[in-house]
Amino acid sequence: MLRNERNFGSPRDRVDGRAKVTGAAQYAAEFNAPDLLHGYVVSSTIAKGRITSIDTQKALDVPGVLKVFTHDNRPATAWFSSSYQDEVAPPGTPFRPLYDEQIYYSGQPIALVVAESFDVARYAASLVEATYEAGAHETDLKLARAAAYVPPKKRQGMKPPASKGDAMAAYAKAPLRIANDYSIANEHHNPMEPHASTVIFEAGGKLTIHDKIQGVMNTQSYVSGVFGLPASDIHVVSPFVGGGFGSGLRPQYQLFLAVMAALDLKRSVRVEMTRDQMFTFTHRPETINTVLLGADKTGRLSALRHQAVAVTSRFEDYQEVVVNWSGILYDAENKQFDYRIAKVDTYTPGDMRAPGAPLGTFAIESAMDELAYAGNIDPLELRLRNYSTRDETTNKEFTSKELRACFQLGAEKFGWSRRSPAPRSMREGRELIGWGMASGCWEAQFSKTSAKAVLTSDGRLEVGTATADIGTGTYTILTQIGADALGLDMEQVTAKLADTTLPKSPVEGGSWTAASAGTAVQMACEALKKTLLQEAQKIEGSPLADAKYEDVVFANGRIAMADDAGRSLDLSDVVRHSGQSEIEEQATAQPDSKVQAQYAAYTHSAVFVEVRVDEQLGLVRIPRIVNAVAAGRIINPKTARSQVTGGTVWGIGMALHEESLTDHNLGRFMNHNLAEYHVPANADIYDIDVIFVPEEDDKVSPIGVKGLGEIGIVATPAAIANAIFHATGKRIRELPITIDKVLREAA
Amino acid sequence: MPAIRQHLRFILNGEDVSLSDVAPDATLLDFLRIKRSLKGTKEGCAEGDCGACTVLVGRLGRDGLVYESVNACIRFVGSLDATHVVTVEHLRGANGALHPVQQAMVDCHGSQCGFCTPGFVMSLYALWMRHARPSLAAIEEALQGNLCRCTGYEAIIRAAQAIASYGEAGNDPLVVERAAITERLRVWRDGARIDCGGRLIVPASVDDLAAIFAENPKATLVAGSTDVGLWVTKYMRPIEPAVFIGALDEMKRVETHDGVLRIGAGVTYSDARKILGEKIPELGKLIARIGGEQVRNMGTLGGNIANGSPIGDMPPPLIALDARVLLRKGSERRELPLEDFFLAYGKQDRQPGEFVEAIHVPLPAPGTRLAVHKVTKRRDEDITATLGAFAFRLDTENRVAAIRIACGGMAGTPKRALGVEQALLGQRWCEDAVLAAMERYADDFTPLSDMRASAEYRMLAARNLLMRVYLESVSGKAPVTIARDVAA
Ligand SMILES: Cc1cc2nc3c(=O)[nH]c(=O)nc-3n(C[C@H](O)[C@H](O)[C@H](O)COP(=O)(O)OP(=O)(O)OC[C@H]3O[C@@H](n4cnc5c(N)ncnc54)[C@H](O)[C@@H]3O)c2cc1C
Ligand code: FES
Ligand code: FES
Repeated sequence: MLRNERNFGSPRDRVDGRAKVTGAAQYAAEFNAPDLLHGYVVSSTIAKGRITSIDTQKALDVPGVLKVFTHDNRPATAWFSSSYQDEVAPPGTPFRPLYDEQIYYSGQPIALVVAESFDVARYAASLVEATYEAGAHETDLKLARAAAYVPPKKRQGMKPPASKGDAMAAYAKAPLRIANDYSIANEHHNPMEPHASTVIFEAGGKLTIHDKIQGVMNTQSYVSGVFGLPASDIHVVSPFVGGGFGSGLRPQYQLFLAVMAALDLKRSVRVEMTRDQMFTFTHRPETINTVLLGADKTGRLSALRHQAVAVTSRFEDYQEVVVNWSGILYDAENKQFDYRIAKVDTYTPGDMRAPGAPLGTFAIESAMDELAYAGNIDPLELRLRNYSTRDETTNKEFTSKELRACFQLGAEKFGWSRRSPAPRSMREGRELIGWGMASGCWEAQFSKTSAKAVLTSDGRLEVGTATADIGTGTYTILTQIGADALGLDMEQVTAKLADTTLPKSPVEGGSWTAASAGTAVQMACEALKKTLLQEAQKIEGSPLADAKYEDVVFANGRIAMADDAGRSLDLSDVVRHSGQSEIEEQATAQPDSKVQAQYAAYTHSAVFVEVRVDEQLGLVRIPRIVNAVAAGRIINPKTARSQVTGGTVWGIGMALHEESLTDHNLGRFMNHNLAEYHVPANADIYDIDVIFVPEEDDKVSPIGVKGLGEIGIVATPAAIANAIFHATGKRIRELPITIDKVLREAA
Repeated sequence: MPAIRQHLRFILNGEDVSLSDVAPDATLLDFLRIKRSLKGTKEGCAEGDCGACTVLVGRLGRDGLVYESVNACIRFVGSLDATHVVTVEHLRGANGALHPVQQAMVDCHGSQCGFCTPGFVMSLYALWMRHARPSLAAIEEALQGNLCRCTGYEAIIRAAQAIASYGEAGNDPLVVERAAITERLRVWRDGARIDCGGRLIVPASVDDLAAIFAENPKATLVAGSTDVGLWVTKYMRPIEPAVFIGALDEMKRVETHDGVLRIGAGVTYSDARKILGEKIPELGKLIARIGGEQVRNMGTLGGNIANGSPIGDMPPPLIALDARVLLRKGSERRELPLEDFFLAYGKQDRQPGEFVEAIHVPLPAPGTRLAVHKVTKRRDEDITATLGAFAFRLDTENRVAAIRIACGGMAGTPKRALGVEQALLGQRWCEDAVLAAMERYADDFTPLSDMRASAEYRMLAARNLLMRVYLESVSGKAPVTIARDVAA
């Protein structure tokens, strides 16, 4: 049967747009319950050591305060630390809030004050006094890296590729050589919505939880594991999430605290984080790359060594893919990869938009740019000379790779051929102009996901899966897919998400949701259509009585013979005749293991950047960026473009602004607010041109979709740094490139 | 003594609100979200940085009823008497449709996660009421104070440009009800002093303020609350008793007398920008770089001076212009040069019970050139790393006849570069003289390193600014304004 694609591939408005512009969309902290209690978190002021005493009396004396929870009086929770392990926890011992007197990092929650009102809880929290015995902390990667180690237990998929040949020997002999360190600062996710959990204590002790989470199933299983409740007693509903970018993949401590208080007090409790508390759990880890390249005079790589060391916490071995990207983008006869982590006294770093990728890509793509200048080769030409045609890191073919088209279309749009190659050769007024480029990739993943499709007797379709829409547009694309499958208008379709009563799905992250949830919904709809046809055929005198599934079409709310539109039935009649109020089917989409064994799947991008640098003051502007992306089929160009634009802006943030500055004396992030932690503002953004390069891929997922959440950021920081070099002749190898680095760095 | 009223009243969307039991540190955002369950207004930071909490406050001003975007998170309920507070819940289009601003945001895909969206909608609403067809520059300015972590802004800008095609302001509820609201607010401005339990006081007049403050010098004066708001939300500092001075008409006046601009301490950045911007354009341009629109609609010049911050943006140019500050305690007034007001970090020449009543700025003498450069890590919504303000005059022989340079971010107070000035005074205005003078910055300043910039950066950038001013003054096309007839 022909696939109906009235909506698939077309720009469609967000179906949740109205809820968002009117303020009607409800986020985790906005659900109410009768007699709701409010919890306010007290945070540790030291980075390491132990609490010797904690005085809560003054807080308890404040009228309206019910209880102050500390490690001294917290209710019993799971005995084994492994019970605290969530769906995406890295190897190690998860942090257990209020577990004992030990302090692992500055800002660690040490008490929860629970009161009848938010103001009272906040005020009383300021009266809690803790005394500590401080230990010697270390937060500086430059010092801690001496004790870096190869993580003994790997997170899934985190293995650096095997070495090949002798990289050092080849490097020694190479006519062109580059060897440098490239580092990236700690960053915090800072979604606009601070983390919050509202836990509603229902009669009988069941919980309804509204959590800021990128996957409700993860909240459910975490709460179940930690508090020993059956999953059936935990209903998690989080229809809207005010941005996540990875900070909401793991359940964070406000959830633990709110559930603990609710169960103990047998009341509904909300715990919200303040913006500065948003700097007290998870961040993108500070990372230092060391890259060494050897090439012949034409720029063809003979040696490639990429090493990286990144921070992790004392209690978990967080890992992300940093060095592999070099090996995926380029092949060399001799290669070596190494990824290590070093323990510091902070919370465990976590996945943040395209975890690892922009870090390693900044390193390899800066180094490639340096190689281009060393060999007097155009940076784009150098990349074409080293273009990989299969994924040597996993020894597999690509499902598809249209990076060459990204280069070509991006360069054309940008006008790359008009670039004057020498640094400092372009100028206008007091500004130096630089053009730079870089390429990148992100793994196109597919995760097992279930979905349902329900047709009601009024002919409306509801599709649903438990995954989240953190702003990416999941509601919208699933509505499109459902509408196309059943031949309905989008207005007749409702997508339901982020509810544990819906079919299971993993957290929303890693850009896998569109492909996985999209496929699952498509499959559920197919199953539903088959059932509908069967039901239609049961109707007495059915015009479709002898029809084969292949011979019917679903269009305009009817099932009809493809070759005889006159023989048709209304979908709502079919449901009505079935004697049920609605007809439901479910399906589970799984990756095809045969394809996975044979192929590697990546999204690719080529980014071209113009910068303007005011050299006397170190100011950098980015008047235009072209980001050309090959990501398989695009379900909705409107949501897709928005994803890539947003990701590109994240790349601007990483390149120029974002940095969680640590006061190593105090072992604490200093700029824990949006005034000093700079995310790009509108004035930092000029023209961003997103191009989707056509890419047909029948292997990556049944619907040919690769996902777009991450790719926008990946190559952007490197392209910006390269453009700054072209403008100024200054090679800055430490992100972010702030005003003082531009002014200081010798040309 | 004026009459005393023990409650304050304002309109919230379509409803009259009267409050007598209100804490001086109660913020408008908590009032909306907690007390009124109006959750369309979001909290992203509680510090004025993100704009998620943007609402409109309508007040009767010089030009009648004006609606301005403000940050509800750092706006105190105590400052709302006789205003109209409008939240996103109040927006509506004809016949149940979305409001044009909202429809444009939907159609142009202006949101992803949506958390910032109501704030953007309100900022755009305020803009749209002023300009049906705003320029790109006006749009960008209106959105300076709103952060979006998801969309990359571009779509929101497109939405802003499209609004006009969705409907005219004429049918908007705030336009339709304008006369009625104006009348109600006018009646409510009854000239009484508001006193809620001695903890929250809104003086009836400047004289009343003078009396209250002289009698109770420990009270916290709250003008625009763009600093005081943060004391509460960030540091939980008690501010009781609080005296709200932001709505005193007399403190909002701007007059010119004998070539001196007298600016009331309560003039907001936004108002100052309109008025000052005409007389001294460089100041107008600087104000456009302070905070975002919401902060500019609240923050006052008096607050920017009284807080004594070394990185306040207005003092350096005002010092360069030889401004004087008018202080008042009870019925006594004294005037002193602004540069003498700043004694040391955190210390100003201000007695208990004394407040800033006005700032007197001599209009630059004809031929005076003025240049102000604010340097920040992020272009907008950022605090100064270093700021240089230069006012100078050249004689007919191209010698420096007069020069005053003041810097921000270079010392514990806003401070003059006396050594640099001396090196230039009487010298020919040429590159060599400027290069020599650049060396003198090291005598005048010992800047510190902090999160915003290193000491080394500050020193280099401050010096380079002098060179920039020189280069711009000779190349002609630069933003160095020459005052010709402004004194007239
Ligand atoms: C997001 C944000 C961005 C900002 N960006 C900038 C910026 O770019 N540049 C900049 O310079 N500042 C900036 N500020 C700081 C702030 O806007 C200014 O310092 C402002 O001018 C303070 O004025 P206010 O009326 O809000 O003062 P308030 O907060 O009301 O008061 C500030 C202090 O002054 C006292 N005070 C106020 N008025 C008087 C008076 N008439 N007499 C005596 N004492 C008085 C108060 O008691 C208090 O101690 C920013 C603030 C925020 C929240
Ligand atoms: S909540 Fe961020 S500005 Fe008010
Ligand atoms: S849409 Fe998420 S912060 Fe703007």
